[in-house]
Amino acid sequence: MAAIVRLSSVCRSGVKPLFYQSTLLARPLALPHKYQEQLCLQTARIHPSQALHAASGSTAASRHWTAERVLSIMLLAMGPVAYFNPGPVMDYSLAAALTLHGHWGIGQVVTDYVHGETKIKIANAGLFLLSAITFSGLCYFNYNDVGICKAVALLWSK
Amino acid sequence: MSAAGLTSLSRCGVLMLRSPAALAVRYAQTAAAPAAQPRIKKFQVYRWDPDTPGDKPRMQTYEIDLNTCGPMVLDALIKIKNEMDSTLTFRRSCREGICGSCAMNINGGNTLACLNKIDTNLNKPTKIYPLPHMYVVKDLVPDMSNFYAQYKSIEPYLKKKDESKEGKEQYLQSVDDRQKLDGLYECILCACCSTSCPSYWWNGDKYLGPAVLMQAYRWMIDSRDEFTEERLSKLQDPFSVYRCHTIMNCTRTCPKGLNPGKAIAEIKKMMATYKEKKAAAV
Repeated sequence: MAAIVRLSSVCRSGVKPLFYQSTLLARPLALPHKYQEQLCLQTARIHPSQALHAASGSTAASRHWTAERVLSIMLLAMGPVAYFNPGPVMDYSLAAALTLHGHWGIGQVVTDYVHGETKIKIANAGLFLLSAITFSGLCYFNYNDVGICKAVALLWSK
Repeated sequence: MSAAGLTSLSRCGVLMLRSPAALAVRYAQTAAAPAAQPRIKKFQVYRWDPDTPGDKPRMQTYEIDLNTCGPMVLDALIKIKNEMDSTLTFRRSCREGICGSCAMNINGGNTLACLNKIDTNLNKPTKIYPLPHMYVVKDLVPDMSNFYAQYKSIEPYLKKKDESKEGKEQYLQSVDDRQKLDGLYECILCACCSTSCPSYWWNGDKYLGPAVLMQAYRWMIDSRDEFTEERLSKLQDPFSVYRCHTIMNCTRTCPKGLNPGKAIAEIKKMMATYKEKKAAAV
C-alpha cells in the first residue's frame, strides 16, 4: 500500500508513465487526495497484526476449546446416566453442566457478533447475569421442587 | 450434420484413401456450423466506478450469444470487455485455474470464473459479483491487502532453528512426510474460501480465515520445519483460529477441491496437545 501511495505521489508530481495506469494501481491514482488519506488509514486499520501478538506463552484459548469439547461429551453421557440414576447428584450436576454449556456457547456468539469495547463489556456482563440467574433458578427448582431428572421424566407421564 | 459434411466433402479433393464416413464426421466438426438460432444469455454484472464521484454500485445487464462465446464465465467476461464495454474491470491471468486471479461470486457461489461453465439455461440470468464482504476497488476487483497481510503473518516459509547449514545440502523428506502436504500445497490463495466464511465476514480483521489457516497448517506439519510449537502458540487467542465454527462453506466452495475445514480441525487438535508433544520431546 505504502509503495502504491509513493508511486501515486510520483505521478502527481508530474511524471506519468503508462504502466502506472494499470488497473491494480488505478484506485489510489484516481481518487482525490483527501479520500486517499482516508483509504490508507482504513487499510492500516484492517491489517491484523494483533493476531500474532498473542505469543505470550498462554494456552488459555486452546484450554478453553478443550474444556468446551470435554463438557459437550460429558453432557452427552449425562443424559443416559440421569435416566438410569435420577437423584439430587444428577440434578445439580445437570444444572451446572447445562448452565456452563449455555454460558460458553452464548459467549462464542457474543465474541462473533458483538463489536466495540463497551458493547462487549455490556454483553458479557449481561451474559454473566443470565447464566447466574439460570443456575440459581435451576438450583432453586432442584431444592424446592421435583428436580430436573424427575421434571423431564414427568413430560412422558400421563 | 450430413448436409454440412457433404458440402465440406465436396470442397475437399483428397478423400479416396480414407473412410468417407470418418472424414465426414471430422469435417462436420471443423466446418462452420450452420447458422443456428442465437442463444442469448443475460449476464448481470456488479459495476462500481470510484472515478465517477458519487457513483453508486449497480447491476449492469449484458446480452451475449452463447454460440459465439467460449464455454466459461471468464470467456463471457472477456467477450464483454473486448466487444461491448471496455470499462468493465476484473482480474484474470492464466484462464486455467492455476493463478487464482479471477475469483468472484457467480450465481451466489464463490468460484474461479475460468473454471465455471456458463449455465446454459437461457431463462435465468447469470449474476456476477465481486468476492463478498471485501472492499471493492472497482467493479469485480476486491481489495486483497488484508488477506495478503494475514498470509504474511503466518510466515509461510521453511524455518530452521539452526540456520548455519542453510543452502549447504537438501532437506530430505520421507515419502510419507511428503504425502502429508498433498491437498494443502495446491492452494492458489484465490480467497474463495475465506470470503465465503461468515466468521471471516464478521471478524475478518482478527480471524485469519480458512485459506490462511490451511497454509499455516501446511507449514506446521512440514517435517522439515522446526517451528511447529511456535507457529501454534502464535494462534493462542480467541480470534485467530477459534472463530472457526466448522460451517464448512470453505470446503464446499473451494474451486480446487481442497478441504480447508479439515485443516483447521487438525490445527485445533494440535493446539490442544502441542505442549505435551514438546514435553515428550525433551
